[in-house]
Amino acid sequence: MALRILLVDDHPVVRAGLRTLLGGRSEWEVVGEASDGVEAVEKVSKLQPDVVVLDITMPKMNGIEACRIIQQKAPGREVLFVTQHDSPQMMREALAAGARGYVVKSNLARDLVEAVEAVSQHREFTALAQNPRT
Amino acid sequence: MKLRILVADDHEIVRRGLCALLQKREGWEVCGEASNGREALEMAKQLKPDIVILDIGMPLLNGLDTTRQLLQHDPRFKIIVLTVTDADQVIREALDAGARGFVLKSDAARDLVSAVEALQDKRMFFTPRVNDLVLRGFLDRGHTVSRNERPDLPTLTAREREVTQLLAEGKSSKEVASLLNLSTKTVETHRSNIMRKLSLHSIRDLVVYAIKNNIIQIQMPPQPSSTTETSVA
Repeated sequence: MALRILLVDDHPVVRAGLRTLLGGRSEWEVVGEASDGVEAVEKVSKLQPDVVVLDITMPKMNGIEACRIIQQKAPGREVLFVTQHDSPQMMREALAAGARGYVVKSNLARDLVEAVEAVSQHREFTALAQNPRT
Repeated sequence: MKLRILVADDHEIVRRGLCALLQKREGWEVCGEASNGREALEMAKQLKPDIVILDIGMPLLNGLDTTRQLLQHDPRFKIIVLTVTDADQVIREALDAGARGFVLKSDAARDLVSAVEALQDKRMFFTPRVNDLVLRGFLDRGHTVSRNERPDLPTLTAREREVTQLLAEGKSSKEVASLLNLSTKTVETHRSNIMRKLSLHSIRDLVVYAIKNNIIQIQMPPQPSSTTETSVA
């Protein structure tokens, strides 16, 4: 069965880039896109994705709050943060909100596929720009 | 013959998205990708693309100074700048630098193809807000002057702007010298001249100047959400 992925970022260009990076895996399916935290929460409910690829800085509701709500009301979804914030403090906050993964946008070509694969298997994957993957 | 486009943005994910958008169009090809302004400059000179798309907030050399230097090298370059903000000052800088297209990153999926088509047809492309600003500037002509004409603002040379950006990014004089192929002594002379012209007294002052004048951009932490409650079935 295909791995169902929801992409959440307020910039359509970034969502298009994420699609191209994930497009190489035939067993993965991008089932939808959202452009803010509120829409993300709604689409998680509607589309029931396995993995939510979630930006942090977004209008209406940021990704951290969206993640908390998703974990509270739709458990079983794995959240992977994809963000420009290359910060250990932000990473800790993201994991505390219930995310399984955290990667920075500057390293997505290197980390995204591996991170989606890890979180889809309920394994933690975190990688800041300066630090090795864990 | 295909329309050849060079794309420059420091975020690979954005470049991927831009390339995906552009390559959907038959007859268009992305002939090169650059991850900073200096690389864009070199690639544009070498590849001679029909259209150059430049992010404004790039490391080593920002998109506005890359635009200035490219047009100084060859005024025939057609350049679209991509930006996260359409603040008046950024628009003025982009117009002053000679960009013929101005696209907000948030609207790039909608506007970028139209912008490339416009430049291909020897037209310009600006967002509605830029058009308003240009019109206001025209209507107010005689009452206002452009930023470059304001007597109270000291003008830095292109080289001084390059040095300002690199110092504000945290590079030492030695590192700047290596990047610009200058001697450390020359960089230190530029540094003294910049500080004197701008009446600055520390690197901290220089960083603040660089941020205020869009020479570098900073990353802001996320703001608390205005909406905290929503429902998931």
